[in-house]
Amino acid sequence: MQPIISVKNFTKKYGGFTAVDNISFDVEEGSIFAFLGPNGAGKSTTINTLVTIFDKTEGELTIDGKDVSVQKAAVRKAIGVVFQDSTLDKKMTIEENLKMHCVFYKVPKSEVEERIKFVLTLVDLLDVRKKTVAALSGGMKRRVEIARGLIHYPKVLFLDEPTTGLDPQTRAHVWEYVLRLQKEKNITIFLTTHYMDEAEICNKVAVIDHGKIIAHDTPFNLKKQFTKDRAYVTTTNPEKLEKLLVDKSINFIAKEKYHRIDVGDNAALLNILNECGSDITDIEIRKGTLNDVFLEITGREIRQGGGDA
Amino acid sequence: MRVVYALWLRNLKAFVRNKPALIFNLIFPFFFIFVFGEIFRNDFIENPMSYMLAGIIAATVFDSSFRVSSSTIDDMTSGFMKEVLVSPVSRLTVAAGQFISSATIATVQGVIIFGVGFFIGFRITSPFTIILALLAMVFIGLVLAGFGLLIATMTKNTQTFQAVSIAITMPMTFMSGAYIPLSMLPNALRWVGYFNPLTYVVSLFRTITLEKLDVPVAELIAEDLAFEIGRITIGPAQALMILTIVGIAFISLSALAFARVDFSRMNRSKDDYLEI
Repeated sequence: MQPIISVKNFTKKYGGFTAVDNISFDVEEGSIFAFLGPNGAGKSTTINTLVTIFDKTEGELTIDGKDVSVQKAAVRKAIGVVFQDSTLDKKMTIEENLKMHCVFYKVPKSEVEERIKFVLTLVDLLDVRKKTVAALSGGMKRRVEIARGLIHYPKVLFLDEPTTGLDPQTRAHVWEYVLRLQKEKNITIFLTTHYMDEAEICNKVAVIDHGKIIAHDTPFNLKKQFTKDRAYVTTTNPEKLEKLLVDKSINFIAKEKYHRIDVGDNAALLNILNECGSDITDIEIRKGTLNDVFLEITGREIRQGGGDA
Repeated sequence: MRVVYALWLRNLKAFVRNKPALIFNLIFPFFFIFVFGEIFRNDFIENPMSYMLAGIIAATVFDSSFRVSSSTIDDMTSGFMKEVLVSPVSRLTVAAGQFISSATIATVQGVIIFGVGFFIGFRITSPFTIILALLAMVFIGLVLAGFGLLIATMTKNTQTFQAVSIAITMPMTFMSGAYIPLSMLPNALRWVGYFNPLTYVVSLFRTITLEKLDVPVAELIAEDLAFEIGRITIGPAQALMILTIVGIAFISLSALAFARVDFSRMNRSKDDYLEI
């Protein structure tokens, strides 16, 4: 499939400081793509360049086949943006904000009312449409912004840290809306986040650190590549378990109350557990998370950069 | 066009919704009427009340237009401008929306004082004067909206802007003849007044509302409605010309500055106000 966002050899420098260093990636249409990284890694710089606010230093960035630094107006029409900081017109009501947005994006007048209803229903704000934005809670504001970013039916929705500063419940809600949207409208979603768990539901994740993409794959593959599943086994006969593990050369660490075993081959482990039989009193298998991926990758990066360890 | 109208409506709504500012803006000019009324009760002015009111209307239109136009600065810092920026709307259209709403609000304020003025001694004889005065208010509003937007885009930050705007508007208003006739000012300040575009705003507006457009320039000079600077005489026609040139300059410069200003730097940090 033709990628909807294509970034080739993108570099952004501020004076002597290189914020983004020669990165390349593609985003497929209709997918959810996450940019993962710590603060200052270059996430916002990349997103701001893609949404035509910053000018690139070098590289080729296109959205829906249009060059973001040349065909700015065409690109702006094709995208919706939710920034990290609120960009709502606080003195106006939710409805007025949405109407203004429709004017900016030349939504036909006859469709405005219908679209306002549609997007406000999507984010459950239809009842409070006449409320002034200044009177809304943080989570509501974010939902208004998401609704506003969608009302002109963009092909790509950019969400820069969409859930930062929201409580867990609201965060979950925001995600629900985003997913609903991606399913209903087949919109491509490009987001940045530093919450690892949020990146789990994305189709593709790019991990960025110090301006470079250090990993780029599906969450599943990233976890497979960078993390190991681990079994935590408690047994009444540790000697037997350890002997079996050593025989099969499976790595493990013996702790006071349990053994932590690296799971490489499920069948081999099952056989061992089978032999131990009723000696086993407790067993728990923990899957690797993106959090582990991130620690694994950036940990190495920090050691290389700092040279202390 | 739809964008300009929408922005115009939005700015008007924002102005009306800010109740304390609205009330203050409407009452403040009347305060000046009482304070400065006495200054104009002297022999060389034929109709002191009309004379003074005309000056206050001109000053109010100036002040209001400048302030509303500069409300853009709030939109920049509140982030709303960022939303405008990533939309396909051209920035010149946005600037046009700002100018027109400033001029509208300024004119409405001028009209209110104009209306109240009739109850406290303001006199005109021809209805044509009202039309001319209205046109003049819109014109003044537009010229100074350009000025306000220019200063707003140059300062980028609310705190800086407030300091700068007071430092600019106060002397400009007081050295324009609006409250104190220029001929009563010391020589040096009078010269500053001659270089102040507001001086010509005030004199032109007064000439219109006092219905003295047909009066020979020599007579106007006696009433501070025209000026003799060295060998140059500036009557109503010259004043209009000066203001047109200044207005075009302000509007095009501010539109240009507005189109180029880097909004991404505006929302960043609170200590950005150190740089202008």
